[in-house]
Order: sequence, then C-alpha cells, then structure tokens
Amino acid sequence: MATTVDHEHQVLRYRTKQRIVHALLATSFVVLLGTGLLLLWGPLGPLAAGGTSRLLHRIGAVVFLAVPATYLILDPKGARELVYDSFRYDRDDIEWFKTMYRYFLGHAVDMPPQGRLNAGQKLHHAAVMLVSATVVVSGLLMWFFKPQLGATGLAATAVVHDLSMLILTLFLIGHLYFTYVYKAISGMTTGWVEEVDARLEHSKWMDEMDAQADASADAMTTSNDGQDDTQPNPPPEN
Amino acid sequence: MTAAFVLDLGRCIGCEACALACKTGNELPPGMSYIELIEQIRGTFPDLEGGFDNHRCLHCQDAACVAVCPTGALYKEDGLTRLDRGACSGCEYCVTSCPYDVPKMVDGRSSKCDGCASATGAGGVPWCVTTCPSRALEYGDRDAMLRSARTRAEALRAHYPNAQVYGETQAGGLGVLLVLPDDPEVLGLPRDPDPPVMATAWQGVVQPISIGLIGATAVAAGVAGVIARRNHMAEMRELEAAEVGAAPVDEAEEG
Repeated sequence: MATTVDHEHQVLRYRTKQRIVHALLATSFVVLLGTGLLLLWGPLGPLAAGGTSRLLHRIGAVVFLAVPATYLILDPKGARELVYDSFRYDRDDIEWFKTMYRYFLGHAVDMPPQGRLNAGQKLHHAAVMLVSATVVVSGLLMWFFKPQLGATGLAATAVVHDLSMLILTLFLIGHLYFTYVYKAISGMTTGWVEEVDARLEHSKWMDEMDAQADASADAMTTSNDGQDDTQPNPPPEN
Repeated sequence: MTAAFVLDLGRCIGCEACALACKTGNELPPGMSYIELIEQIRGTFPDLEGGFDNHRCLHCQDAACVAVCPTGALYKEDGLTRLDRGACSGCEYCVTSCPYDVPKMVDGRSSKCDGCASATGAGGVPWCVTTCPSRALEYGDRDAMLRSARTRAEALRAHYPNAQVYGETQAGGLGVLLVLPDDPEVLGLPRDPDPPVMATAWQGVVQPISIGLIGATAVAAGVAGVIARRNHMAEMRELEAAEVGAAPVDEAEEG
C-alpha cells in the first residue's frame, strides 16, 4: 500500500528491466567516451600511457556490444517497441519538429501532442541505433583487423569512429540537456514521473493509458459486478 | 641542429656490430632490437648479387608514426624521431602507419630506434656509428650528411650504375640518408612512400574539430539549460495557478 501512496499523481514511465538496460548503455558509453577522449585530446594523452585506459575501453566495448542482446533477452516487448517507435513519425511529430525551438527553450505548453516518445526522443533513439552501428563496426575493425587495414585504412576507419562518437556525444549532451530542463531524471532512477509532466509532454500516450485503464475497469466492473473501483492511473479530469 | 645519419649500404658488410653496439649501449632488454640485418640475395645462379638490408628507423621528417601517436610518445627532436616508451599506450597505430614497417610492439609498448636520445642529446654520437668497422655509418648535421651521401653515391656509381641517395625528399626528407647500390624498388623500398594525408586529416583536423565542437556544445548547453529550465518552471507555475484558479469555478458549477 505504501508504494501506491508514494506514487500518487505519478505514472510508471520506464520498467526496471528498461532502466537496467539504460544503465548498462549509459555506463559503458561514459567509459568508452572517457577512455577514448584520452587518445583524442592531447593534454589528456599522458593518462593513456601504459594501456590501462585501452583495457577499460575494450571492457566498455564488450558491455556496449552486449546491450542490444541484453535488452532483447530481458524485455523483448520493450526492445521491439523502442525500435518500432523510433522509426515511425506521424504528422504531430513533424509539427513538433517545426516548433522544436520552443521545446528547446523550456516551453512544453502548446507543443503538438506526443506519444510515449516525443519526436526528439525518437530521433535521438534512431540516431543512437544507426550511429552505434558505425562506431561498433569501425571499432571492431581497429581492434581485430589493424594490420590488414594498412596506414590509410586505419586512419580512415579511425575518422569514421571519431565522427560517429562525435555525433553520439552531441546527442548525449542534448539528452542530458532535456533531462535537466524538464526534470526528467526520475524516469531513469525510480522509473516514475509526475503525472502532470506526462500529461503535458506525452498527452497521446496518457490518453492511450487512460483508454486502456477505462477498458480494463469496464471489464472488471462487468466481471466483479461493479465491486472493483481501483485504477492504477486515474483518467484526467478534463 | 637538424641531425641525420648516412647509411651506405654499398659499404655495409652485414657484421651486425651496429646492432650489437645498439643493444649494449642502449641497454636494450632481451627481445628488443632497434637494428636488424637482413641478407639480400638477388638474381639466379650463377649471376647472383648480394647485400644487406640494415633495417632500422629512417627518422622521416613527416613521420607518419608521430602524426598518429595519440599520447605524444613519438615526437620529433633535432630532426630525429624520438620515442618515450613510458608515454606509450600500446595502441599500435605507429606499427600500422609506418611506411617502412619499423616500429614493433615489445611488452605492449612501441619499440624503435630513438637516435640514441641520451647520447646525441648530450652532443655525442650514436652507438651504431661509433662501432661500424666498414665506415658505412656517419652522423652529423643533415646538410653535411647529404653532401657526404652524394659523394659516396658518386663513387659507388663506378661499380653500380644505378647507385643513388635515398631520403633527400622521401617522407619529407629522411633522417637516415641511404646510399643505395641500386634502385629502391630492387632493395624493397618504396620509391616515394605515400604522405600520411589521411592520418594528418584524422589527427590534425577531425580530432581538434571534434574536441572543439563537444566543448562548445557542452558550454552552450550549460548556459541554455539554465535559461530553459527557468522558462519551464515558470510555465509550470502558470499552469498550476491556472488550474487552482479554475478549481472554485468548477466547484461552483457542481454546487
């Protein structure tokens, strides 16, 4: 009962398994970025001496590589939804992009209605998936096929690797930016977010949840002869 | 001073005294060697020619290994390519990038001739030069070494018509000027190794731009984030005030 009281006026945005996968991805990416930056930025170069950072980079790479499989094993439905949602954009998403500068400046009111993921999150996830593929392929080439690449091949592969990480890092900065501006960190720490925020920023998703709750409540009313009046997420007042 | 070696392969007798002196003088551990003598036999019996490839770092002026080294372990000094093994991360970029296949990995770190940094840095002469019994090696100011190499090649042409100096322009000019008895291709050397264009673009353009973009974006996001969060909190307060203001009206209507 205590849990129910704690999450009054909140909605469950990310399940535990999703948060575990996110934590794995975030941790491995930060390790990869940090150890990679040692080789990228001259003043940090001496910290890479001895090869400890190279070992950490490879451990991070193995964890990063394992993330998609982990997601599919832990939460296949969630993984499929993520891929499906990230590459499907409707008219509201296009309108959202047109007025994205408002959202960027902290104005979520009057933005086009959004589903479980807003258009920016979809683009972020899609980019992470696509660019991760190029960073993984170029990284594996440099790890296992360095002698075969030759001097020019190595440099070209490293350029692809560096540019891929540049794109992912810029997306990470944007990701952290919106998390801070919209106080969204609880979605990935506890999994719960404020209902008022969810209704403002993901109204179509909340409408779907309300419709599901209504449908299940109706079913319960029919089967229990109207004795069950509990609902996990109450429908909106308006 | 821009220093350089002359390595006259027309005079090299393959005695390996240079390799041994290098190992001893630089106190190289077992398994590590900066000079390798490789016997070369060309032609078919009975028309055979022979010689020795004195395989070692040629100290390129535009050194690909220096261009790709991410930690600064490889660097140029006095025209020579130095190596600080303590600063090496073991990435092996230098091994892959060298057009002459020189750096090797020993105990997880790069290994190659550093031009006897301890001796030459103090005004001395490299160990290999002091030991060579056939006077195939010289060390000094590069202009003087270039003159000496040309003189040696000229003398060599009396017996070897294709004799030439290799390293005047290759890789920006080599710090080891080779006097060859024949064309470079015959001796397994590239006539003109490709300049490390991609490596320079990678380390000299892509990486600085990436660092600059990441830094500038992080700073801009930090400043914009503070402003945007204030905007969002203000609109949430307005939203809350509007709902609170609307509540009594709803109750009155319901009443």
